[in-house]
Amino acid sequence: MSIAQLSGWQVQGLQLAGSLLAIVFIAWLVRQMGLGGDVRLRSEDVARKLADEAIYGFGAVDVALDRAGIGALLRDEGGRVMLLRRQGVHFVARLLDSHAGVRLDRNFLEITTSDARFGMITLDLGAKAGVWAGSLRRLGA
Amino acid sequence: MGGQFAAAGGVDMAWTDPIQYAIPAFIVLILLEMVWAAKYAPTAYDPGDSLTSLLLGLGRNVVGVLEAGLLLLGGMWLYQHRVFDLSAIGGDWGWQAWALCLLGEDLAYYVWHRSAHRVRWFWASHVNHHSSQHYNLTTALRQPWTGLIALDFIFRIPLVLLGFHPAMVLACGSISLIYQFWIHTEAVRRLPRVIEWLVNTPSNHRVHHATNPVYLDRNFGGILMVWDHLFGSYQPEIAGEKAHFGIIKQLGNFNLIWAAFHEWVEMAGDVWRAPWRSKLGYLWRVPGWSHDGGRETSDEIRGRWLGNSM
Repeated sequence: MSIAQLSGWQVQGLQLAGSLLAIVFIAWLVRQMGLGGDVRLRSEDVARKLADEAIYGFGAVDVALDRAGIGALLRDEGGRVMLLRRQGVHFVARLLDSHAGVRLDRNFLEITTSDARFGMITLDLGAKAGVWAGSLRRLGA
Repeated sequence: MGGQFAAAGGVDMAWTDPIQYAIPAFIVLILLEMVWAAKYAPTAYDPGDSLTSLLLGLGRNVVGVLEAGLLLLGGMWLYQHRVFDLSAIGGDWGWQAWALCLLGEDLAYYVWHRSAHRVRWFWASHVNHHSSQHYNLTTALRQPWTGLIALDFIFRIPLVLLGFHPAMVLACGSISLIYQFWIHTEAVRRLPRVIEWLVNTPSNHRVHHATNPVYLDRNFGGILMVWDHLFGSYQPEIAGEKAHFGIIKQLGNFNLIWAAFHEWVEMAGDVWRAPWRSKLGYLWRVPGWSHDGGRETSDEIRGRWLGNSM
């Protein structure tokens, strides 16, 4: 059967399959070319800047960086606590509104926000983990 | 092109969607931009983000095929009741009609686009195009699936009532989208001032996609920036103010289905939880509005920024 003998819907189906293959190929190529990469938080200043970009005017007075640089906790003067987490080569932020999703395990804080689709993150905060876990209880349940 | 329409005595559906002919060029340009990114800006692309953007584009194409017949059917009914006859300016398919339709479509695009950022119902669909934290050519293809539900077509009704054939209106809309493909890039910096003033460029559109307070809700034009100058929404890119892309509350995942429908889900949740007298406000007021003032609109964020800048 030649393409000329195909019905309109069959041609549409072929186009769809071809487009899907092209998309998968491009996404694979992006990875193969080394685009994206392994982005980490290198300093508290970078975390402060990202927090201000996420919520304009968020002036962090206290910062706890994950040891691997995949996230951070920040507190502003008003007591608001922001969780920064890596997403691809960018960082995304959510304000914590409760300590219900916070679990302490030695140097690790496991945090789940009220936004279920934001996912869970485990931050290695070293000795700061216990201090932050304690202070997060002030957020209430 | 006009002859084909006229000879058919109706509508050649293929011409209403020239985007399908542009797709090979889109792919070549994306590959070229990836080569540029590999050399100069590796973080301009991310595999997960590109996959989501391209799949949103593919989904939009599928939805577009299903919608086109319905839109043309409704458009043809309206066309029977048009107010003007274009025979005085060279006929329905003359070059004059095409030129005027393109100009009219660009104005309609501006009005729709501004509304899509100022009314949450329209934003619920359009937000898909903005929800990437990247700004590259795959972002251009990141198109919404729910434009029909959001009633985007109502902004083109005046053009049909003015006498432009619905197929021509659809084709002009596609031409505008094709033009806007190349401007979704960080690879092109600023163009000569007169060009930046007159038409949409990568620089002008970076401003539109940015979440920096100074850039919020600016540059709504499709092809021409004239409308932004006329209606006071123009903002040039500022040296030293690097654009940060995405939305105020970034998505936080690359889930395709969530990317396509998240604002509808969140809007429905807001309406459900709101007191009765405030429910409709979550549908027609500006994104970020809340009945208890617990959130911020772009105007409020911009206002705080202006206050701090003075």
